[in-house]
Amino acid sequence: MSDDAATTAPPGAGPDPLPDPDGAEGALRRSAAARAAARLGSGAVQLLLVLIALFWLVPTLGLFVSSLRAPADNASSGWWTVLARPAELTLENYAGLLDNPAFVGSFWNTVLITVPATLLIVVIASLAGYAFAWMEFPGRDWLFLGVVGLLVVPIQVALVPIAQLYGGAGIYGSIAGVVLFHVGFGLPFAIFLLRNFFAAIPRDLLEAARMDGGRELTIFRRVILPLGGPAIASLTIFQFLWVWNDLLVALVFADAANQPMTKALQAEMRQFGANIDVISSGAFISMVVPLVVFFAFQRYFVQGVMAGAVK
Amino acid sequence: MTEHAWRLRGAAVAAAGALLAAGCAPGGGGAPNGGDLQGVQLKVAAKWTGVEQDNFVEVLSGFEEQTGATVEYEPTGEDTGAYLGPKIEAGEPPDVALLPQPGLLEEYAAQDALVPLSGDAAAALEENYTGYWSDLGSVDGEAYGILLKAAHKSIIWYRPEAFDAAGVQPPKTWDDMVGTTASTLSDAGETPFAMCGASGWTLTDWFENVYLSQAGPEKYDRLTAHEIPWTDPSVVDALETMAEVWGEGDYMAGGTDGAVQTDFPTCVTQVYGQQEAAMVYEADFVAASAAEAGATVGETAQAFPFPAVGDAAPVVVGGDIAVAMSENEGTQELLAYLASAEAQTTWAGLGGYLSANSQVQPDAYADDFTRQLSQTVLDAGEDVRYDMSDQVPSQFGATEGRGMWAVLQDFLRDPGDPEATAQDLEDAAQEAY
Amino acid sequence: MAHTPQPPDAGGGATTEHGPADPGPPGPGENAPEGHEPGRAGALGPPSWMALAFLLPALLFLGAYMLYPIGFSVYRSLWDAPGTTFVGLDNYVRMFTNPPTFVALRNNVVWVVVAPVVVTVAGLVFAVLTERIRWATAFKLVVFMPMAVSFLASGVIFRLVYEQDPERGLANAVITTVQDTVAPAGDFPDASPREGSGVEPADGGYRLAAQVSPGGEPALVPLVGIAADDLPASAEPAAEPGAAADGAVTGTVWLDFTPGGGGAEGAVDPEERGLPGVGVRLVDDGGATAATTETADDGTFSFEGVADGAYTVELDPRDFTEPYGGVTWLGPTLVTPAIIGAYLWVWAGFAMVLIAAGLSAIPRDALEAARVDGATEWQVFRRVTVPLLSPVLMVVFVTLMIYVLKIFDLVFVIAPGSVQADANVLAVEMWRVAFGANDQGMGSALAVFLLVLVVPAMVFQIRRFRRENS
Repeated sequence: MSDDAATTAPPGAGPDPLPDPDGAEGALRRSAAARAAARLGSGAVQLLLVLIALFWLVPTLGLFVSSLRAPADNASSGWWTVLARPAELTLENYAGLLDNPAFVGSFWNTVLITVPATLLIVVIASLAGYAFAWMEFPGRDWLFLGVVGLLVVPIQVALVPIAQLYGGAGIYGSIAGVVLFHVGFGLPFAIFLLRNFFAAIPRDLLEAARMDGGRELTIFRRVILPLGGPAIASLTIFQFLWVWNDLLVALVFADAANQPMTKALQAEMRQFGANIDVISSGAFISMVVPLVVFFAFQRYFVQGVMAGAVK
Repeated sequence: MTEHAWRLRGAAVAAAGALLAAGCAPGGGGAPNGGDLQGVQLKVAAKWTGVEQDNFVEVLSGFEEQTGATVEYEPTGEDTGAYLGPKIEAGEPPDVALLPQPGLLEEYAAQDALVPLSGDAAAALEENYTGYWSDLGSVDGEAYGILLKAAHKSIIWYRPEAFDAAGVQPPKTWDDMVGTTASTLSDAGETPFAMCGASGWTLTDWFENVYLSQAGPEKYDRLTAHEIPWTDPSVVDALETMAEVWGEGDYMAGGTDGAVQTDFPTCVTQVYGQQEAAMVYEADFVAASAAEAGATVGETAQAFPFPAVGDAAPVVVGGDIAVAMSENEGTQELLAYLASAEAQTTWAGLGGYLSANSQVQPDAYADDFTRQLSQTVLDAGEDVRYDMSDQVPSQFGATEGRGMWAVLQDFLRDPGDPEATAQDLEDAAQEAY
Repeated sequence: MAHTPQPPDAGGGATTEHGPADPGPPGPGENAPEGHEPGRAGALGPPSWMALAFLLPALLFLGAYMLYPIGFSVYRSLWDAPGTTFVGLDNYVRMFTNPPTFVALRNNVVWVVVAPVVVTVAGLVFAVLTERIRWATAFKLVVFMPMAVSFLASGVIFRLVYEQDPERGLANAVITTVQDTVAPAGDFPDASPREGSGVEPADGGYRLAAQVSPGGEPALVPLVGIAADDLPASAEPAAEPGAAADGAVTGTVWLDFTPGGGGAEGAVDPEERGLPGVGVRLVDDGGATAATTETADDGTFSFEGVADGAYTVELDPRDFTEPYGGVTWLGPTLVTPAIIGAYLWVWAGFAMVLIAAGLSAIPRDALEAARVDGATEWQVFRRVTVPLLSPVLMVVFVTLMIYVLKIFDLVFVIAPGSVQADANVLAVEMWRVAFGANDQGMGSALAVFLLVLVVPAMVFQIRRFRRENS
């Protein structure tokens, strides 16, 4: 850390998770000497941050370029050699994957697992969050503390018991089993997030609605859901990515016919060197949806992740 | 441990499997005979996909024609145990399943999930399989399974071009291989071996071949049953023999570090694709990977029998064992058909198949290579042994990061102390048995 | 994405009271909203049974997927593998005595001690530095991006980075490039002496065991182990060294291997080629170098005008230096640090964003006041910024710790089969034991142990929540 840390740009004023520091420059009065020193230091900082950004970008780029190279090329040289021989690039790996029913099937399995799981979590947690925030019943606070406690329960605790339960119920290996498991383990966080958000809705709005004789479901639909939109959006995106990216639950609960992409790709990892064509292109396809969601809704996603911190 | 059925890779294996089959003789099932199982529906589960699946389905169609039954094939994916477990629990197992390991067979037999062979099936086993093979599918004297499709694990693949450049011939004995072949290749600037050390099962296969040849079949069986401890001098001897190759970093592509980090079939690519090494040891199914790496099996990719360490060259075999999992009508008849020389001769003609049936004639095979392999199995007779690591508890013999896999990987990393390695193996075995 | 997310900021986005389009994030410094006390529904509130109806689906799920499993796991952990024999605490004892599990425990300790600190520090550094650049938003997006993709994909990315072969693995490619500029590899790194020819290794190069003297027998230095393809194009068929005149020493360095076999060992055969450009030196009895030269294209060399005496012929080690092979990232010793590197890559964005939000909430006045008092920037950072940030740092640290305890995917995906045992952690071991080895007793015990490990976090959490809502 250099001595003049934080001189050049004061922290962004807004609570925006990715604040734009524009306009921050010059907000502080500084001596000419300090300014010169800061400019020098700033050059070093710029360079350092560029290097760090490269450290974050280049590995991903490596995966992408590898996915565009023939297996034999990947086996004999590094992906960066395409800089000298761009003609090597090919879409063959992707064509091969899209022709492969097993992979295409696993892509749809991912969708079939992720969409229902996300919807169920959001619906169930909204109802529960509303009840915890705005309904009176005995033991409410204790019950909610229980939910808070469940937040950190490791998923491992449920693997064996639920596997046995599923075996008995005949849904071991099925998509439904995977979906329901995600719902179960997604709920504490979802309820916690929504309850806190709903609780902050101005009391007057609810009172007024209840005064008008609105039924609870109507209030929930007309008042809570619209006002809770941003929190619900955060939760939806967070859960969507969480389920989409899951490996462990699928590993335990999805059989070969119902496995999502993550599990299908994991099975190839044992022969990493030989399957690099399938693995790199498959991994990249599996990343595309999360990346699109991330860049399109990054604000909501960042918010969801930040809400995921112990507070 | 055969691990070549890749889940996302059906097509690739399939293409290579087809290369093995010189000609595709149509299935010559017998004439339909009345159809005494008309309307019966049966389910068969195995891990084969692609061409392997097509060929098997063609063999099954012979049964359908003869009996009028309908047989449905279900692919299990890579992990047959994980596929069958829940099905058994749910009470809906397939009628016939092909188990990749005798260990699994024992496990299911203990859970009463298997139906013993009876009637025609028992007779077919008796008639077609010699002692060792019929015992393989038995638990406590009760016959449950038939080794349907064998994998030959006692061959070493080489690149003739590299051998020619160094002026060496395929060796007959281990000493020749280490003393002459490998050292001459090394002098010629060719790295003798590609190792598949990251895939632990390939290392257990090395051990099994050396041990079977050096200590003999009887000790092999006793060690498999853990009747003698792994600290037995015969184990130490086998490890010392292996160290003659494993201890020479220069003999392995990428040196010791590279050898441990290379998985199967990348090691095959090192030989036939990048041409970084001259030989790679693994089973007959290397053919698929070699073809994928651009070699022509039989020409630019050839194999010689695993050389004799002791008196006789070893013949280690792996394979899939067919078992009955239901008492439904037609199940035993289907097993009887599959065990028959007729069905297996058809299969052999389709290619990519090796039989353990003593009645299947060598000329049934579509290509010379498989014919020769089948001949070595027949010649070895009662001295053939099934892959040890697949017979011992899977915790010990077939688990990543555990037991034989992990200890042998450590040994490949540093083969300096065979006795300590034997002790490690014994410790791991104690834990698992 | 991470499993079992932790609770959000108690205030939620709503505290900032932006419109729905701009919810604003949870500000780490904020407290629970004042003014609208949550939940006091009052006389107008619905009856309790209605609340139950709203809660029922959630309670059913929580009961079935969390409460029941906790109870069952505790119970199951007291039974043996098939679940037929009661074994008491045996599984727990075995957990600490069984070598693979013990390795897992030990690695988990390394993880918990190292990873959260490294990631938090990186997050803090990034957050502070990004305040000084105009492209902070872009930088944060880039660093945060790995949070959006699966650990599996991140694992694949780092498997590629850590590939051993410098031709293919980025990390080793960078390292070896640097190393090779410092100490370049020789032309003949694979060479080794022909056995029985009297050539022996010496300090990375080779020497003839037998000494030579001027005008005596020519020096023959046969080497092997070089592929014919690897010879320089200039290499010509090896020539017999000429007879040495008075005061001269002659010799040949050649590849003593006839392509296709044949040829006499230690003799220059017709199809064998010389090794050009090899540095040769004559070393006298005192160990001093008397003369140096290089071999010609046919492998011959000669020294003229050498004083009488006995000399040793040595080949320059620089011609035989092996190329640096890079670091064995995924070998037994480095695999855990290597995976922690990948973990940093994934999680640094999380730490950075939370800390940056905390930074932006620090009152300007406090910083200014310190500056006016003449504090240097470092002092301001140490004495004002960090203490004011400490609640946020604590949050980041504890969150990371909880995730690190349960780390599964990255280890499972990055560690190759041959080092899975060395990279083992509790969550992977639990999966392996329960679903690989089918020992659900031991698997349950491991799961319960993990649960016990997160109990302090659970307590921390509940107390914090109660404090904020009281």
